[in-house]
Amino acid sequence: MTVSVVGLRKQFRDHLALDGVSLDVQPGEFLALLGPSGSGKTTLLRIIGGLDFPDAGTVTFAGVDVGDRLARDRRVGFVFQNYALFRHMRVADNIAFGLTVKPRRDRPSATAIAARVDELLALVQLPGLGRRYPAQLSGGQRQRVALARALAVDPTVLLLDEPFGALDAKVRNDLRRWLRGVHEAMGLTSIFVTHDQSEALDLADRVAVMNAGRIEQCDTPDEVYNRPATAFVAEFIGNATRFDCRLIGGGVAFAEVRLPNAAPPTADGAGVAFVRPHEFILSPAGQPGIAATVRRVAHTAALASVECELSDGRTVDVAVVADRPINVSTGDRVTLVPTAVRAYAIASTSP
Amino acid sequence: MTTSPPTSPTTAEPRWVRWTLIAVALAFLVVTLALPLAAVFAGALARGLTAYRSAIAEADAIAAMRLTLTVAAIAVPLNIVFGLAASWAVAKFDFPGKSILISLIDLPLSVSPVVSGLIYILLFGLQGWGGEWLRDHDVKIVFAVPGIVLATMFVTFPFVARELIPLMLEQGRSDEEAACSLGATGWQTFARVTLPNIRWGLLYGVLLCNARAMGEFGAVSVVSGHIRGLTNTLPLHIEILYNEYNYVAAFAVASLLAGLALVTLVAKSLLEWRFGDQLAGGR
Repeated sequence: MTVSVVGLRKQFRDHLALDGVSLDVQPGEFLALLGPSGSGKTTLLRIIGGLDFPDAGTVTFAGVDVGDRLARDRRVGFVFQNYALFRHMRVADNIAFGLTVKPRRDRPSATAIAARVDELLALVQLPGLGRRYPAQLSGGQRQRVALARALAVDPTVLLLDEPFGALDAKVRNDLRRWLRGVHEAMGLTSIFVTHDQSEALDLADRVAVMNAGRIEQCDTPDEVYNRPATAFVAEFIGNATRFDCRLIGGGVAFAEVRLPNAAPPTADGAGVAFVRPHEFILSPAGQPGIAATVRRVAHTAALASVECELSDGRTVDVAVVADRPINVSTGDRVTLVPTAVRAYAIASTSP
Repeated sequence: MTTSPPTSPTTAEPRWVRWTLIAVALAFLVVTLALPLAAVFAGALARGLTAYRSAIAEADAIAAMRLTLTVAAIAVPLNIVFGLAASWAVAKFDFPGKSILISLIDLPLSVSPVVSGLIYILLFGLQGWGGEWLRDHDVKIVFAVPGIVLATMFVTFPFVARELIPLMLEQGRSDEEAACSLGATGWQTFARVTLPNIRWGLLYGVLLCNARAMGEFGAVSVVSGHIRGLTNTLPLHIEILYNEYNYVAAFAVASLLAGLALVTLVAKSLLEWRFGDQLAGGR
């Protein structure tokens, strides 16, 4: 089911949450809304779900305008950040809730409802936990119950608001994979909100990067990561470090170094350049590049991390492949030589 | 009032300070609460059980009891409805004038009970705004049961709302939003999601509301007209007995109210102990 929003605007009392947002979600797509806090991603999700209404703009499902339909008439499944399970009902009653509030003529029989609940409990891998109360479940289990509850009413669109935010890392990773599996098995169209870029890039078919109420770029994870369209995306994705630079004829000049610009071509002049942690080479001091002092060397991940302090006081975590020895230690003076850079003209970095 | 936090050695006061504070609090409670209560029961039984029973079974006392129960039976359910409606509106919606509504809800608590009764005299009494119209239509409000009910409702109005508003604000809207997204109507959401979430807070508020409704003196005294057997509630009847120097009877009837207070206190403590986490925040 295609979900389209065009020109959405939403003003809250003290800030503009959405500033003309347009987006098309393809049927069967798993789309991530990624951005920092306050970027408007949760507001956008809630407006699509009918829990909030825009000041301007339209929301259409499969070409039909649903703007004046309430949440209960939109047939969306919504999974909340804090799960919002009904604490005084058992798990089975939680899952069955959407079916038991249907008008009498549409309501399935009690046995049909019970069968559906069992089916969903099996789908979310919680068989036999139907008689427990939410308070007796772990965070990961509650999240799966919340998903089962949302799926019980056969929604056409599944909306998830930071579904894994409150879980610890291991549980989060397991659930991510599993959620993607459910999405594909049930042929849903899913939109989920996250501020965790690794989650978005890992799971989604497309990522919409949002900033201050606007969508900066909506592309596949590969495109967003390797070909960021704007300075904001370049800085937000991949933990890049920002440098002032000059753009000259398709090249970027900064810190005594000239490199081709890996970002889309842009006008000459002053600009901002972004280099990612693994796009530096650690070289001895005195070479053309960025002078730095090593503060810390950490060998605790697949990429070793060398924390360097620049002359202006900023810290850069240089990522080095850990399969060969790193011949620097704390206090050494080094030069960070960038091997790739993305630069954007100053005009594109609108405040 | 519910469970006390564990005392850690670094932040706890020395033992003698703790015991002194407890002793002071206990002494205060004994003097202002326990002794007067004991005095009520002692005075009630001063002339033995027969005197006690005849004081309670006396016709005017029974009429007073009946009136007190009737007033409570009308005022408390109505205030439950108003309290639920007000807290539902305040907690789940945003609308202009919300803070004014919250202040108005607190108003009866800051107004003297005498004034609370007087406003109804001013509104419905003969010299008041509606007085002439009411007399012409032979409708009695002040110096009759309806007036007592109104005055009682006014003074007990805040109790349910004040209990529910912080509780519902703390619980937030996500449960209700989840119910809506699953297809529930407003009523279904309220009945099956909101009410169960607030049931213990509601019961707590009802207990307080009821205790106040049955024990209200000042406002009811102004509005009732003190007609023996007709417009005397239990507190008013006690005052009459006392003014006639019939101390034993006064204490006997007062022991009923004292008994109600003790029952309310026990029920309240049970609720706090068992469901403390589901009562209003800040408790």
